[in-house]
This record gives sequence, structure tokens and C-alpha cells, in this order.
Amino acid sequence: MVSNSESLYKILSDCLSQVQATGIGPDGLVFPVDCADVPEGEHKIFCQNLEQIFFMLNESYRYAQSLAGGELNAEVSRNNIFAMPLKALQASLKHLTWQTRQVAAGDLSQKVSFLGDFSLSFNLMIESLREKDALEQRLKTITDTLGEGIYLVDPHGCLVFANPEAEHLLGYREEEMRGKQIFNTIHSRQEDGTIHPHVDTRFASAIRHGHAYQDDNCVFSCQSGRLMPVSVTCRPVLFDDTLQGLVIAFRDITEQKKYQQSLLTINELLEKQASIDSLTGIYNRMKFLKLLTVEITKAQRYKSPLTVIMLDVDNFKNVNDDFGHHSGDLVLRALAKVIGNSIRTSDIFARWGGEEFLVVTPNIDLNQGLQVAEKLREQLSETTFAIPRPVTASFGVSQYREGDSDTSMIHRADEALYRAKKNGRNRVEPE
Amino acid sequence: MVKDSYDFSWEDLGNLEIGRPNLGNETSVAVYRLMQFTFKDVLSKELGKEKTSQLFIQAGLVAGREFCRNILNTSLPLNEFIAELTQKLVDLKVGILRVEKAEMDNLKFVLTVSEDLDCSGLPVLGETVCNYDEGFISGIFKEYTGKDFLTKEVDCWATGDRTCRFDVKPV
Repeated sequence: MVSNSESLYKILSDCLSQVQATGIGPDGLVFPVDCADVPEGEHKIFCQNLEQIFFMLNESYRYAQSLAGGELNAEVSRNNIFAMPLKALQASLKHLTWQTRQVAAGDLSQKVSFLGDFSLSFNLMIESLREKDALEQRLKTITDTLGEGIYLVDPHGCLVFANPEAEHLLGYREEEMRGKQIFNTIHSRQEDGTIHPHVDTRFASAIRHGHAYQDDNCVFSCQSGRLMPVSVTCRPVLFDDTLQGLVIAFRDITEQKKYQQSLLTINELLEKQASIDSLTGIYNRMKFLKLLTVEITKAQRYKSPLTVIMLDVDNFKNVNDDFGHHSGDLVLRALAKVIGNSIRTSDIFARWGGEEFLVVTPNIDLNQGLQVAEKLREQLSETTFAIPRPVTASFGVSQYREGDSDTSMIHRADEALYRAKKNGRNRVEPE
Repeated sequence: MVKDSYDFSWEDLGNLEIGRPNLGNETSVAVYRLMQFTFKDVLSKELGKEKTSQLFIQAGLVAGREFCRNILNTSLPLNEFIAELTQKLVDLKVGILRVEKAEMDNLKFVLTVSEDLDCSGLPVLGETVCNYDEGFISGIFKEYTGKDFLTKEVDCWATGDRTCRFDVKPV
């Protein structure tokens, strides 16, 4: 029973001392006086006011505890004067929660004002995210407009990103391929169309081990089934020295391949033109010398016989004079055809110049060479040409000797041919 | 002939650069509140509190509509529009607008306004007083979306809350 100010003061003093010593317990700050026991008057009014203050303090304490625990929907009495700053804090926290969700959803228009250092930190974070966003946009623009296909795969080879050019080149949609291993799809076949042994591909190895590699002669499979020749470059993506994936850049080299093939064809044609006599279609002098040199090298190494037969159309000048150069050309073409059909495929036949021809017969000695020349001579003399006159030829034959060069062998055959001419034409003479 | 009623026009705010070359375009919050609360005093005595509140809401609707038309960029996406609105309200020292909840699909929002021009610092009166703000917010959202909005103040400085809280939803 509170009877006077002194006793009330003592009760309150003991209560507050205990709270200061032990803190506010689970029951909160308990007002130590039952107002019903206080007589009407100033003491009772004082106690009722103080009890209300104790209630507000307890409520504010619990409210603050809830907010500290993250319960942003905690409620408190409207007339609680101690809780008012906490209400402002609660409103700010709710707003920040919403803002954070907005940022997570990609809304970078958020800004925090009037929350001291937190505003500065938050706004710096937003600024940083905006810069990152701008960078990503720039990179996207680059990859969108790049003339090369770009794949980004994770360390397991599963697709993370494909640029529009990659979709355009190979036909696979990014959304269809995302999360799937792409090298099984795009690198399943080799250039000849056979299945690629997966574990052996450099592509798969680069992904497994995070190696960089370049292949200018690779083949990717399109969704249509077409095999596309590509030049591909792979680079590992590392973060803190840990493999995060691989960037695969590739470009279609179909046109380049076609161009290379056309170059090869042109080169072959040029080489042929440089090797073939345009009138007769057989080898020309330059090609003959190259081939003879090769055969001489073989003869030296394998100690095998080698024979050169030189022939010259008899009285060819008269053919041109009497029947014209066109007829002369027809005679030379026909002669080349007869000789070409009569020798072995391993023999070398060329027009030396004018109406002179040469035949190289590997693995044949002088006597056999003379027999071959004789056979050719007979065939020519028995052939009907496009002019009303028999066409014959004289032959000189030389055999390879140790230390011979192309020039010396041809020279001896030429000397033999000269003798054949001198001895009456339409005949064969050995060196 | 003088009309019986008045239609507000943004131009009626006048050219403050010419009109107030020395004092500028700002005044004190106390003067603003003096005008608003004396209006409330006279109108409530003439028309009653309920009717006065309705009139303040209607005036706020016109203000929000004109503010949106003349100050804000309505071509912005919603998130950026709210960000701009927030910044403008700070720049013009109207209040600190914050979003606590936003349902973008059905356009329902819970907004708070701290340091509100109308009520922050008032004694606890036991009732919400920001009727003009209610109309102002509805007017802005109506102008931006083309839909009618209802804004209800659920917490106010004058009810003991340190921030004004508004439920905003389409009608």
C-alpha cells in the first residue's frame, strides 16, 4: 500500500535499480505498484501516468526487438511516443526491402535518399551495377554484330550463351541448346562425315582441361545436317584461376575453301600448261628434262638401265612446204598419238622441238631400246597420215652411263639420230 | 462575362522569375500550412469536415493531374516513372516518397511519404489529415495510367506515425 511520496519513491527506486542491475527480463519492465491500491489523489494520477509510460517502454522494447530480428511487419500502438522514431526506421527498412527486390529484378533506377552512409553505399552500388549493365550492353552489341559465331560454355561443355551469328551459321536456337553439351551436337562428325570419336577430339580436350586451341580446318555439324568447314578458336574463361568455361569463336570458311580449291585447280592448270606441248598434248621440253633428271637419279641409285630414244620426222620441211603448216601440224599430232599409244605408261614421251621427239624408257638397256625404237619406226611407216605421202622418222638411241647428265644422254641420242639421217633416214641407230 | 466557376491552368501559376525576381520561387512550409489549415478551418465550418475532406481530395486530384502533365515524363516505364516522381518530390521539397510494396501487374502500391509538406511535425490529432495528398497521388497515377485510382492514407504523422502511408489501387 502506497501511503505517501516517500514509500512510492522507495518502491520505484528499488524497481529501477533492479532493472539497471539485471536488465529488462522476459516479463519486461514491470510497474511495481498496483494503481488500484493507491488512494485517489495526486499519487494515483502520478502512478497511472507512470504505469502508462512503463507500458510504452515495454511495447517499444518488444517492437525494437522485432525490428532487430527482421520482422518488418511488427506493429505498435499509434500513441506510443517512444516508438515513433522506430516507425520511421521500419518504413525505411520496408522501402529498402522493396528497392532491393527491384534491383534484383533489374530495376537500376532505384536511389536511396536521406539515409546517411547507407544512401551513399547503396547509390554507389547502383552506379556500379549501371556501369556493369552498360558494359554488358556494349558486349552484347559487339557479339550481336560480330561476323563470327560465339559460344560460351561452362566447364562441362554445356551451353551458356550463343550469339545471333552462331544461331545463324549452325541453325541451333540458343534457348534449345542452353544447358546442353554442345560439342556432342556440333562436333559429332569429321570432315568425311564419319562419327567423331568423342574422347579424342581436341575440342573436347580443350573443354575438359581448359586449354586454348585454334583449328583452321575444323568441321561443325549444322542442324540441317550439313557439315560446315570452320575456323575455330577456343579460349578458357578463368576467374580467380578457376576455370569458369570456354569461349568458342568460329567462322564459316566454306567460301575460303572454295577459293583455295579454285586456286589449286588454277595452279594445276598452269602447271599443266607449263608442262604440256600445246600442239601435240604430250610433255614439252622443260617437263621432259625434269622427268629425265628424276629417272637418271633412280638409275644411279638402283643401278638400273635407262635409255633415251630421239626421233625426227624425215623431210618434214617438205611436208610443210607441199601441204601447208596446218597439214604439218596434223602430221605431228598423229605421230604423237601413234608413239604415245605404242609405249609403256612408265615411259616418258615429249616433243623436243619442231619435228623432234624424245622417249625415255626406264629399266631398258640399249639393245632393248633399239628394239623399242625399231617397233616405233615400223608403226610410223605403216601409219596412214592426213597427207598423200608416207611419213617416216629416223631414230637415235642412247643408254645411261655412270656420270651421265640429261644433256649428255640427249646429246649422244642426237648424234645417233644424225647418223640415222645420214645413213638414209627411216632407220634406227645406236649411240 | 465572368464565369461562375474557375478552371485551373498551369499557366495560372504565373511567371515567378518575372514576378519574384528578388524573393525567388520558394516560401516557407509554415506559410503553406497556414493557407491550407485556414482553408480547412473556414470550409469545415461552412460545409462540415467530411465535405471539406472530399474537396481537398478533389483539389489534390487536379494538382496531381497537372503536376504529372507538366513536370513528369509519362513516357517512362513504370519503375523509371516512380524514380523520377520520387526525385521531383524531393527536388521541390514536397516530401520523401518511398515504395514499400508494389504489385506491378494489378497496379496496387503501398507508398510512404516522410517529411510530408502537409503533416510532418503536427501534434498527434488522432486522425489522418493528408486528404490533399491522397488526391494528389491518385491524380498522378490516373494521368500516368489512364485509370481511376483510389488512394487512402492509413498512417499519418497526425495519428502518431512518423511517416504517412498510403494504400493506392485502381478503382
